[in-house]
Amino acid sequence: MPPKGKAAPKPKASEAKATQPSSSKKQPAANTPPATIAELSQLRLDESRPFDAVRRKQGLSALSRDEQTTWYAARFARQPAHARNRVPIKTQRELWRQVNEASIGLRALRDHTTKWGLAASPVVTSGGDVGGLSIEAFGEWSERRLRLTALEVASRAFRERRERARRGETEGKDRVVVTETDVDDEKERRREMAEVRQKLYGVVTGRFALDPEWDDVVPIPHEEPDGALAVIAYPAEYAEAISYLRAVMASKEYSDRCLRLTETIIEMNPAHYTVWLYRAAIIQALKLSIPYEMEWLNKVALDNLKNYQIWHHRHLLVDSYYPTIAEDAEATKEFGAAEQAFLTRILAEDAKNYHVWSYRSYLVDKLGMWDDPGELAAVEDLIDADVRNNSAWSHRFFLVFSHPARSTPGVAATEPDPAAPSEIVDREVSYAKDKIVLAPQNQSPWNYLRGVLVKGGRKLAEAEEFSSQFVVGLGEGGGREEVTSTHALDLLAEIYAEKGDKERADLCLRRLGEKWDRIRVGYWEWRRKCLN
Amino acid sequence: MLEPLPERFLAADPSRSWILYWTLAGLTTLGEDVSGYRHRLAQTARGMQNPTGGFGGGGGQLSHLATTYAVVLALALVGGEEAYEVVDREGLWRWLCSLKQKDGGFQVCLGGEEDIRGAYCAAVIITLLNLPLELTPESPAYTPDGSTNLLSGLADYVRRCQTFEGGISGQPNVEAHGAYAFCALGCLSVLGDPRRIIPEYLDIPRLTAWLSSRQYAPEGGFSGRTNKLIDGCYSHWVGGCFPLIEAALGVGADGNSIPGSLPPPAETLFSREGLTRYILCCCQDQTRRGGLRDKPGKMSDAYHTCYVLAGLSSAQHQWELSTNDTNIGATLGATGADAVWNVLPYLGGDDDLQVFEREDLVRPVHPVYAIPLASKDAMRSYFLAKGSSFDDDGAAATAPGE
Ligand SMILES: [Zn+2]
Repeated sequence: MPPKGKAAPKPKASEAKATQPSSSKKQPAANTPPATIAELSQLRLDESRPFDAVRRKQGLSALSRDEQTTWYAARFARQPAHARNRVPIKTQRELWRQVNEASIGLRALRDHTTKWGLAASPVVTSGGDVGGLSIEAFGEWSERRLRLTALEVASRAFRERRERARRGETEGKDRVVVTETDVDDEKERRREMAEVRQKLYGVVTGRFALDPEWDDVVPIPHEEPDGALAVIAYPAEYAEAISYLRAVMASKEYSDRCLRLTETIIEMNPAHYTVWLYRAAIIQALKLSIPYEMEWLNKVALDNLKNYQIWHHRHLLVDSYYPTIAEDAEATKEFGAAEQAFLTRILAEDAKNYHVWSYRSYLVDKLGMWDDPGELAAVEDLIDADVRNNSAWSHRFFLVFSHPARSTPGVAATEPDPAAPSEIVDREVSYAKDKIVLAPQNQSPWNYLRGVLVKGGRKLAEAEEFSSQFVVGLGEGGGREEVTSTHALDLLAEIYAEKGDKERADLCLRRLGEKWDRIRVGYWEWRRKCLN
Repeated sequence: MLEPLPERFLAADPSRSWILYWTLAGLTTLGEDVSGYRHRLAQTARGMQNPTGGFGGGGGQLSHLATTYAVVLALALVGGEEAYEVVDREGLWRWLCSLKQKDGGFQVCLGGEEDIRGAYCAAVIITLLNLPLELTPESPAYTPDGSTNLLSGLADYVRRCQTFEGGISGQPNVEAHGAYAFCALGCLSVLGDPRRIIPEYLDIPRLTAWLSSRQYAPEGGFSGRTNKLIDGCYSHWVGGCFPLIEAALGVGADGNSIPGSLPPPAETLFSREGLTRYILCCCQDQTRRGGLRDKPGKMSDAYHTCYVLAGLSSAQHQWELSTNDTNIGATLGATGADAVWNVLPYLGGDDDLQVFEREDLVRPVHPVYAIPLASKDAMRSYFLAKGSSFDDDGAAATAPGE
């Protein structure tokens, strides 16, 4: 007899829904042998649950009254005790009687059909669900699970043995040892485990988790707070490497494996400044060979032309290497020459790379390469290759006028320096003039020329005649005015002002604003105001 | 850009904090209210802060002056106590002391390079957060007699970065570069009254000549170095120097010109029309991507969007230092931090040169702090009220929300 009245618990709507997907999709057609593992288990499940399949497909009304009673009693019996106890005692007794009469098996199978979980795509035919595997494929899947369990047991044994070896335990008379073969076997084992895991669950095992060498490090995974802004999706390998980096940095470990870790991360993201500084600290702590590191760095630099962390790293390396060769003039010279050769190579790729030039000026100062003819020659080569290379011009100015033997400390770059030798000033003036003639509208040598004259304490008027050749018929009408270099006109304005010829200076500036360099008219007008 | 980013942004991992500033600053300049991001930004910033002070480019990264600057400005942009209280000021101050070098400059991070970005970022951070100027005994620049502080020698460091061309290099003895010109002028303008400190430490005629040379015809945009190509981001790095240079020209605190000083420009020192044309015609990414870019043929990105908009703002506005600033003459401390800047839309030039529509007018950006004036004032006032010692400031000692 079915329970009546209010006490009768109705099958919950949610329960009915939960079983629906499997019934609609995976119920095998009558008399057709099950094709997939999900269908097979559904069949077995149905056998253990009287009338469940019919009710699921057609509703409770499709069952006769007796069948309904049996279905309900069976369902009652399957419930855990605390759920059964919600039913009034009297009704419970009645239901148990029904169960006995219908000989319902109390060990009905549990419904697993929706819980197979996902398998990796290579083995799965139906949307990644293990339930969709053919019975044959499921056999294979189960075998893999067994294999994985076996490997895991062996791997645990390896770790335990290694731990015992570490503690210095003995086996009979012998000490417990972990041989290189053991480690290699373990590596091989983990590779297989990773492969099996990938096939079973589609999970990728990181290279550090695979490597017994890293077992003692507990990685610190990177977690973003809820709702964090601009969160970058990390590729799995990067996320893993970074989590190991955080762990070893936190424990201040400086070791060979950490050095290799930094290399891995630099390969993935060379802009990661933190890892570069950590690498420099490792090299310093372990007193590793700096020439060796430089060689590695050269390759990284050529592969990452736009990266600037590389150049600060190089700077730090030289800071610690130079003191070890400072006493040896020959070694210093040799090192400087090797650096110059590399800089030539890298500047051939990107001649105006700011960070390379910053490093170059640092190097000259550090190694005292002021009188090295190779340095000036390198700059001249670059200017010859591209007379507009302003980086090369800037380096030349530094090389010539910051020479400690011919400069006064504390004198600003735009101020005259009494220590600048006259013959050097003359040499540089004519060098600049020679280059201006090649391309009169190229501002680099004009800035250089003006800079040299000021540095040498010379009158700008020294360049009056030279500059005048680029300006013909100034202020004259009828198309006679011809300016082949606005920079010449600019310098002439200064020259005339210097000589007290305000009128002529004003004319230069006015013509620049009116005709020859109109975009800068606001500036030229201001210069005119400055004349008074 | 504020929402989750795919793997191809991996290279931006060390500058994620910059993305926060660039996007929020860009939106703000366009007139958007970004205070709705306050809570999420506070959470994000907390994840970038290190227990030893300062903010890294992202979680688990070393604190860096540039990324700390970016986070502090982003917090100022969203504003409010929840954002301000993220900063562990005492930790930040200790960390800054460890970066301060004997020669006056700052390393950008522990063991990192010393450059003028560090000088500017430190000056901005110290004044926005009202940090104490005393040095810890652990600082490389510490002197037992107390004669040095966080800001001493900084202006001299800036001076050493001016080159023979007149522009400013990243470190002494390198090539002049637009981004560093802004850092130099910005740093000095925090340290003192721009009208006095800029002429004191820099050769203004040479610097102005160099800055002006960055504008090329026919495009109208700015390049970053002599003989280099125009790039939209220099609209800010170079364009943003002009308000500071113009402020330094001629007019003293009393409103009269300083005897012997250079005159102010009649109209404007650079072609605002040219710059506006370049930005509107060449920097807009017209694809569905939107945003602003370096030059035609390049893709837009957060960095260029932020700084092109800031440059557009420089072209559209005119700045004036309030004449009743009483701090003039004081170069100790950071008296420029409270300089009162007045802003007006730029109305000079002929009407037919007004190349932008009224709806293209963007918001003014503080010429030194690169955020709206009100955002700068609100943050600085908040921390001025707290004082610059940590004894009575439990909130600063223990980062809230942990
Ligand atoms: Zn750019």
